[in-house]
Amino acid sequence: MMKYIIELILSIGKVDRRWIFLVIGLAVLLPLFFPLGLPIRATNATQRVYDAVEELEPNSKVLVSFEYGPSTKPEIHPMAIAILRHLFTNSQKVYVTCLWPDGQFMAEDALTEIAEEEYGLTYGEDYVLLGFRPGNEAVVKGLVSNIRKLYTTDARGTLVDQIPMMANVNKVKDFDFIFSASAGYPGTIEWVQYAADPTGVPMSTGTTSIQVNDVMPYVQSGQVKGILAGMPGAAEYEALIGSPGIGTSGMDAQSIAHLVIVLFIVFGNITYFIETQRAKKY
Amino acid sequence: MVACGLSLAFLVFLLAGHPGFREERVVMFLAINIMAGTLVYYIRLAQRGEDFYLRTIPGLKAVEEAVGRSTEMGKPVLYVPGIMDMDQVETVAGVIILGHVAKMTARYETSLNVPVSRSIVMKAGREIVRESYTMEGRPDLFQDDMVHYLTDDQFAYAAGVNGIMVREKPAACLYMGKFYAESLILAETGNSIGAIQIAGTASQAQIPFFVTACDYTLIGEEFFAASAYLSQKPELLGGLKGQDMLKAFVTAVILLALSLRVFNDLGWIGWNVIDFLTVQ
Amino acid sequence: MLWKRQIPILIATVIGLLTLFGWFIDNPGIESFVNDDATQWFDILASFAIFLGALNLMKLQGKKVLKQHSGWQYSLFAIGGFIFAIVAGFIYKGNDAVSWGFHVTSKGTLFKWMFDFIFTPLSATMFALLAFFVASASYRAFRVRNLEATLLLVSGIIIMVGRVPLGSSISSWFIMYLLVLVGSIAANIKLQDKIITFGVLLGGVVIVTIWGSLAGWPVDQPSIFYLPMLQDWIYNNPNVAGARAIMIGIGLGIFATSIRYILGVEKSYIGE
Repeated sequence: MMKYIIELILSIGKVDRRWIFLVIGLAVLLPLFFPLGLPIRATNATQRVYDAVEELEPNSKVLVSFEYGPSTKPEIHPMAIAILRHLFTNSQKVYVTCLWPDGQFMAEDALTEIAEEEYGLTYGEDYVLLGFRPGNEAVVKGLVSNIRKLYTTDARGTLVDQIPMMANVNKVKDFDFIFSASAGYPGTIEWVQYAADPTGVPMSTGTTSIQVNDVMPYVQSGQVKGILAGMPGAAEYEALIGSPGIGTSGMDAQSIAHLVIVLFIVFGNITYFIETQRAKKY
Repeated sequence: MVACGLSLAFLVFLLAGHPGFREERVVMFLAINIMAGTLVYYIRLAQRGEDFYLRTIPGLKAVEEAVGRSTEMGKPVLYVPGIMDMDQVETVAGVIILGHVAKMTARYETSLNVPVSRSIVMKAGREIVRESYTMEGRPDLFQDDMVHYLTDDQFAYAAGVNGIMVREKPAACLYMGKFYAESLILAETGNSIGAIQIAGTASQAQIPFFVTACDYTLIGEEFFAASAYLSQKPELLGGLKGQDMLKAFVTAVILLALSLRVFNDLGWIGWNVIDFLTVQ
Repeated sequence: MLWKRQIPILIATVIGLLTLFGWFIDNPGIESFVNDDATQWFDILASFAIFLGALNLMKLQGKKVLKQHSGWQYSLFAIGGFIFAIVAGFIYKGNDAVSWGFHVTSKGTLFKWMFDFIFTPLSATMFALLAFFVASASYRAFRVRNLEATLLLVSGIIIMVGRVPLGSSISSWFIMYLLVLVGSIAANIKLQDKIITFGVLLGGVVIVTIWGSLAGWPVDQPSIFYLPMLQDWIYNNPNVAGARAIMIGIGLGIFATSIRYILGVEKSYIGE
């Protein structure tokens, strides 16, 4: 009996990787249709972002930068939405810039959904979309030295001088807080190095899970006030602001997918163990 | 002598009121000069014939094996110089290693396929490959289309390179440059076609993916050392020795700053080293 | 020779030194060059160079179709996609109420349609492939080969489970029971003695049960066995320590490489 079980394990161990793909596909898909409603608990890093936003006085000027595109939308967009909700609930003024060209599409989507449809806010008085400018870190440097040199008009073609909420906003130092929703270069690190550190304006960020490792040293040193780490970060933030969204609904799927990967690893090790024992024997 | 002269001149300039100099950045200025000076010193030492020990880097030794394997199997070598432009040092390092790889492919008469995601990288890559083929005495084997453009978009590029891998089944896949989330997509596809894979990157977040899916991975500094290792030029080897000395220097500064910070926290000294080291 | 060797090196040295030391000079002209102009020059050059890339792409794909190389059908998609994007970007807006330039992001235009319904799903699909590749790579690579690999495997599992809500639902007492089980398996493999194995298992279970009953079985206590806490610690301590070390090494590598270019020591980029 034991022999058959071992043979079975070994034959499954040699399975084509497409079977693994199929199992992972199902592990992601099924919880989306049949949610488990697992409880979400905020990590320290997420709590710090929430606290940093909470500490802002009402009507503070917050610069939100969109540095992601359609590929990373499922991971970053929920956190951008949650941050905007939190900022608008606390009556902050939101200024949106984009370091990525496709970031402008993401920003348009998020602002239409949250600022216009959900909160019914006035463009130019409560929020403004300055839009995309090419130049990567040069754009950040430009914002630090003179916003008006870089942006003469906003994304909708209105002259910046004619936008009411742009009065007295000339450089990064005029903001009270920066949030970078980032999926790579240029993104969080450029904001830390060229804007937040030299000007002393506090900043937080939300990144893809892969990037967290890169940004974590800046978070630990206090240069970045907390981090929303991938989709779990978005879900935790949604839980903190009491507004479950796409992040929360994706958590069951991610939990099960992680569990399946762990089971694969354990299974892989059992096969490895049996094989090495056999090799030793012969 | 030159260093002493320059230091003296800077001291005089500083004491004389240093017009036009940003005083608040003097720490950074000194750090750059000390570090650059150390590098130059070791480069000069190497040029004068000093011998430096260079540990074996298995990943770089494997490059020639990979090209040899491709030759034996009659399959091409695929070289991916990352997804960023020439303004990133990693891309420049990737293009330089491409030059060395091209010399090997010219020598072994193996075909080389270099899909790139930036036009300037295409131009730079072509120049360096052409030069390598010429230096190896095989300009006849060089074709412009060896280095070809796919697209600027990250995932479209990954899809394009994956397509090349699946269709052409190269025997060796080399990934040298700056990578983001596409790293695992490329390396896993390379793995699935059974190619020998060597990666080199300074993209910290991608290193675990390459380590998992590739046969060899050049991590950070090893990647930057590749040019020196492959060329064995004394001035480049001297630079590596200088880099090691810099690491010792940085470690000493970290330990010293840590002690001073602790003393400050304990109230033994009133001077905060963090304020001194923070560049405005 | 002068144009191919000395002049490129001279340009790299002069511009490199200016960019490096310009940061220390209090002069608006130099400051503006370092902060804005130099980078924007590169962007302008790169923007024009895109024509070279596009032409090369079309030339290769066209050649493939004309000569009917293997997989030439895919090239038709590449050419078709290229032409469609040009039409949507420069020739046909699809919504006359929107002016040129703003048609890229405005609703109801062909370009926005292409972005929403072609580009977005394709990009998201490629990114989503990562989930599958992560699974297959972990399955293949995470093996208990030696002590380091085992540590990597265990911390990997803790991070993967502890990072998601599932981890916060797993009680630290369950983890403790699991550790007792693993401990007794290890004792059995090492000592091959049934009594000792049974003793370790029974002792462990009794200790954990008594401890749990006295403490009232709180899910997150003791925190050292609570996966979310454990993953937080791993992420913030050993992980960041390693990341910092690699970061410093990479920083030094970038610095040394840049200095080598600026001083003209490294000339491989011009083929030497």
